[in-house]
This record gives sequence, structure tokens and C-alpha cells, in this order.
Amino acid sequence: MKKTFRGGVHPLHGSHEGKAPTRDKAVREYIPDTVTIMMGMHLGAPSTPCVQKGDRVKVGQVIGTPEGFLGLPVHASIAGEVIDVGPVQGLGAVPGIGVTIKNDYTDEWVDDIEPLGNVETCPKEKIVPAIKKAGICGMGGASFPTHVKFAVKEGQYCDTIILNGAECETHLTADHRLMLENSVRIVDGLRAAMRALDVKKGIIAIEDNKPDAIEAMRKAANGRDGVEVRPLKTKYPQGGEKQLIHVVTGREVPTKKLPLDVHVIVLNVGTAAAIADAVIDGKPLISRITTVTGHVNNPSNFRIRIGTMAEDIIGECGGYSEKPGKIVLGGAMTGMPAPSDIVPLAKANNGVVVYNEKEALNLEESPCIRCGRCVEACPIGLNPYKLKYLCDADDLQAASEADIMDCVVCGSCSYICPAHRFLTPAFKNMKDKITAAARKKRG
Amino acid sequence: MNLFLSSAPHVHSPQTTRVLMRNVLIALAPCAGAAIWYFGYSALILMAIATATAVFAELIWQMLTGQKVRIDDLSAAVTGLLVGLNLQPQAPWWLAVIGSLFAIIIVKCLFGGLGDNFMNPALAARGVLLASWPVRMTSWVLPTGWNSYADAVTGATPLASPGSFTLKDLLLGNIPGTMGEVCKVAILVGLLFLLVTKTISWRIPVCVVATTFVFSWLFGNDPVVSILSGGLLFAAVFMATDYVTCPMTDKGQYIYAVGVGLLIAVIRNFGNYPEGATYAILLMNIATPLIDRFTKNRVYGHERKVKKENG
Repeated sequence: MKKTFRGGVHPLHGSHEGKAPTRDKAVREYIPDTVTIMMGMHLGAPSTPCVQKGDRVKVGQVIGTPEGFLGLPVHASIAGEVIDVGPVQGLGAVPGIGVTIKNDYTDEWVDDIEPLGNVETCPKEKIVPAIKKAGICGMGGASFPTHVKFAVKEGQYCDTIILNGAECETHLTADHRLMLENSVRIVDGLRAAMRALDVKKGIIAIEDNKPDAIEAMRKAANGRDGVEVRPLKTKYPQGGEKQLIHVVTGREVPTKKLPLDVHVIVLNVGTAAAIADAVIDGKPLISRITTVTGHVNNPSNFRIRIGTMAEDIIGECGGYSEKPGKIVLGGAMTGMPAPSDIVPLAKANNGVVVYNEKEALNLEESPCIRCGRCVEACPIGLNPYKLKYLCDADDLQAASEADIMDCVVCGSCSYICPAHRFLTPAFKNMKDKITAAARKKRG
Repeated sequence: MNLFLSSAPHVHSPQTTRVLMRNVLIALAPCAGAAIWYFGYSALILMAIATATAVFAELIWQMLTGQKVRIDDLSAAVTGLLVGLNLQPQAPWWLAVIGSLFAIIIVKCLFGGLGDNFMNPALAARGVLLASWPVRMTSWVLPTGWNSYADAVTGATPLASPGSFTLKDLLLGNIPGTMGEVCKVAILVGLLFLLVTKTISWRIPVCVVATTFVFSWLFGNDPVVSILSGGLLFAAVFMATDYVTCPMTDKGQYIYAVGVGLLIAVIRNFGNYPEGATYAILLMNIATPLIDRFTKNRVYGHERKVKKENG
């Protein structure tokens, strides 16, 4: 019996979590005619564009310089001419600044790449700077700048790095394919991360609905120092950071603390592969694997260049097979809906899922019947039904006291609720309000 | 392109309120069938009257008060059918009407409708009818077959005169009693359906029955006859498991179920009533908010909370 966490749900359990159409499809390279690269692809202040309309850029050239503590550089993902620098409507409420590049199909790389070579022998103090320089942020969806995770403060230490290959979200097979096709790269990235902080233990955690990936990663990890593969039970949100740490190490991250406080760093497998590219080849993060599925004619996994438009990649899948009702970037439980198919894909976009009009139907909220399914499903142990009343009453104080800030916004309660109560959206909103109020108080 | 925007999650469990209530109705069907088999057309008519009254009462209430009409969630139908199944088969028709009206209007709608009632509406109605018309509610008849009034013979329930029925009669339902409670096999079929469809968990029905079993035995009764007599099994499966009025957490449900089982055994042994399930569950319904407060799950990353809240 594999260890697991309390609560959780099994979305789309009857249809292999929606992964069946793409899990056996090998990754195809896709290079678009134009890309629109957003400056705000990571958590933290958006970068500042450092190219102008008409400039010619090469692949890997810095086109945005980092701003602030959580800042990251942004790189050109194709070679060609900059045809626009300006506001672009992405997933956010307001447009962000994006750089649009027209491909000249030379695929010419910049000259100043600095490969560090073998991850086992390269100077370890150069690893974290290389990660920062490559513009790597969490590629599982959270887009937190990766180098910041390695900022070990006085009194802290890290003894375990966990690679998250759970891919517990529905529909997505990007990490699955990466683990099958690039398993050695992932282990290289893990080893680089481990060496950077002198960590002795690296654990690659994978849900047991991907036995082939477990097998491939075991093979790749064989003979590597301190690296092991850990199968996990298939259950959502198995890949949630807090759940993963608890299941793998038995430790709980105390409330308002970070994984490093329990001596753990969690990285997505995609992030690990990007670290390997940055360290071994000195190459920045300019492409990633994305699953395009749902109501498209030929659901596929692609290695896309950052900044590819959703419209283009859907076209590459043979277009829509039905009139689209909703396009979600990411899985069904935490993915973001797109306002149109003319949105650029960012570093953390692991999937594009097209829903038909029937699946996109607006749900109506009905009265809570106190069935307790949300309480049972909450992986954190909260009382979602009660929190919802506090959110409806806009009672920030009471909601904080009921531990709403511990909510991980996984969506399990909303998924399971028979009355379709809008639980998770209300909690996300309330958390934002409480954070904003606290910031205002601090001044 | 006109795309729909909404917050995650973008998929939902197919188990909606309506599906859950429909499951309960399906699970009640064997009991209703058994009642008609044993007690004839009067059983059918009483159940129909009770159900129709409940649904119409909710419809009219929601229309008069300007609320959205939600009778299609089937919760009123469940309540109505439960009121009907809690009557004795030759109860007068107006008892069914009063019972359903009380359940829907007084217990459910006046307290805010679905989800806000503090007691199980059908059981509260049964409690009121039992207190107001005790003779009409407990004039038990032996099963008569289809022709309800042909040769109705009054009799005592197995609880009032234990030992007068065989185990087979107790199981199959060839005994006097309320329409829903007589046929234990039908109740168990319903329970099985509810468990397989994950409409309810095993915790409450199993713990209620087990607790009554143990305490009946401690009090010196035949525990097997005890759990097969009266309304215990029906109440444990269909009444104690009402979502609205039972606790939320596993731990709370164990406490609640043991409380119900214990109270049933106590009332049956030391009370005036031979039957205890109704009042036992109603009492524990009232204790539910308290149980909920003391059985919260520990929040991840927190030490177990000692005492923090006031309210």
C-alpha cells in the first residue's frame, strides 16, 4: 500500500484522468512563425523589455531584464525580427507587456552561452547563478523563480530535494512524456540541484498511473548518487507541494512556513530538465513540453517555443473538432481559462485543453446540503462549507481565524460539491483580499 | 470567438444534489414495494399522498416567498416519501397530509429550506404525529395483502410483544409496523444501493445498529430480535444518515451514531415507548452542531488546537 495523504478526490477517474488521448503520443517539436513573449511569465515583478521594434534577435538572447527580488530574465525563443513591443492580452485581467518576434527560421543562437559541462564535476557554486541566468521558474504551473528556492537562509538547511512527477492534474501528459523521453536529463537536473546545496537525497515522486514513467526514471536514476524513485498513489492533489512533502518525507510544513523550513525543496520534473539544460549546455529556458488536448482533431504533446500562441498550436493539432466553449491553460482542477485562443503560452503552461460548449456550461450554485463531502475531500483539513459562509459574509477576520490562509486552492471541495457551491473561487478571492489588507496595514 | 470564463475547477463530480436525492428515492423503492405487497393499496395511497403533499407544499412555499423553485432537486420528494413510510398502513389520509406539511413547512422551509433545517424533517413530523395522535399512529395491523381493509387484524409490534414472531417473519416483514420498517431485506437492499453508489458511508448505519445490539444485550434483551424489531434498521439507514442533520467529520459521525444507538437502547428499555429510534435521532440531530464543533479535523501544518474559538 502506497502512502498517501488524507482527503483528495479522483477527477475524471472513469476516463484515465482525461490523459488517454495523449499519453502515448511522442513529443513533437513545434516552431511557430511568430512568438509573443510576455515579460511577466513568472511570479514576481514583470521584466523590462530591452529590445526595440525592428531589432534582430537570436535564440537565447536576453529580451527582458529582471526586476526586483523575484525577477527573472526573459529570452528570445526564436531568431528573427522584433515586430512589436507593447501590451498583449494574456490570462490576466489587464494586458501585460509582450515582445513579438517574427521567425527568420535561421535558428541562430547567441554566442555568449556558457556551458558548465558535466553536472557531477562542474563547480557547484556556479549552478544557482546558471539557473537564474537561464530564467527558470517553476514549470508545474506555479511559476515561482527557481533560484529563489535555493536561497537558504541562516539556520536553514536542505536535506532532501523532491522532484514532482506526480502530474496529478487531469488531461496533462507533458511531464509524463518528458519522463519517458528525457529521463536522463531530469536526473541530471536533480543531481545539479542536489550538488548546488550539498543535498544527499533526491527523490523522484511519480503517481502509479504512469508505470512506464516510473520504470524509465528508475533506469535513469540507477547508479546516480542518492537518487531514488518513489511511486505514489493516484489521487488529486498528490502533486501539491504540501501533500507531496508529507507523503514522501512524513514531514508537515508548518503553517505560514516554506518547504525549506522542513529541509525540503520541491521541483517539478520539467524544471529539473530545464536546470540540466542550463547547467550542461548553458541554454536558457526557451521551450517546454505542453499537452494540447480536449476537443481538437489530433490531441498531441509538443515541445513548443515559449510565446507560441494557443491558436497556432491548436491549428497544429488539426484545429477544433467541435465549437469550443472554453479553453483552459493547464489541467481541469487549477488551470486558467483563456479569454480567447489568441493568448501566448508562458514558461509554466503545461497544457491547452479545449472544452466544448456543453462542458463549459455555466453551473448554478444551489443550497449547501451539509453532506460533508468537502470536509472529507479537503487535503488540508479545513471546513470548506463553513469557510464559504464566512466568505459570503465578507468576514476577513473570521475567515483568517478559520485558517483560510492554509487553503492551497486545489479545487477538491468545489469539484466534489453536489450543490456546485463556488467554494474554491470564493477562497482564492478571500485569500487575495486578506493578503491585500495585510499589505495595506504594513504600509 | 465567444469563450466562457470561469474559475477552476473546470470539471465537477457527477454526483449532484439531485443525483444523490434520486439515489435515496431508488433505495427507498424496495421498502415501498414491500409495504404495498404486505399492506395493499392503502399503503400505496398513503405514500402517494405524503409525497405529493410534501412536493406541493415546498412548491407553493417557494412561489409565495419569491424564492427560486427547487423542487426538482427531489429533496422534498424524499422527505414526503419518508413521512409516508413512517406511518402505519391504515393511518387516515389526513395524517399523511399533516405530517408532510409539518415536515416541509415548519421544519424545513421556516428554518431556511434545504440544508438549514436543524432536525430531520420527516422524523420531526413523525415525532409530532406520534405525540398528537398516539392511538392512530400505533394501531398496528397484521399484513393484509393487496385488499387493505378486507380482514384487517390488529396486532402488537414485535417490540411490544417480543417472541411472537419468527426470525423469518422479522426479516421478510410479515409483521405489523410502519410501512417502511417491516421488511428488513428491502431495507438492506436499499442500504447496499446507497453504499455502492457512495451516496452515504457505512459509518452511521453500521455504528447505530452495532451500538444498539451491544446495549440491548447488556440490558438483557435478545440483541438479534432487538435490531430486527421496530424502526431501528429503517431509521439507521434512511433517517440517521440525513446529510443536513448529521455531523460532517468521520469522528463526529461515530460519536453521533453511537449516541443514537445508545439512546435507542435506553428509550426502549427504560422509557414508556416501546420504540425509541425517532426520539433518539431527533435528540442527536440537535446535538450535531455541538459535535461538529468539537470534532474538527486538524489543519495541516497546525498543532492540534486546544481552544481558540468563541462562538
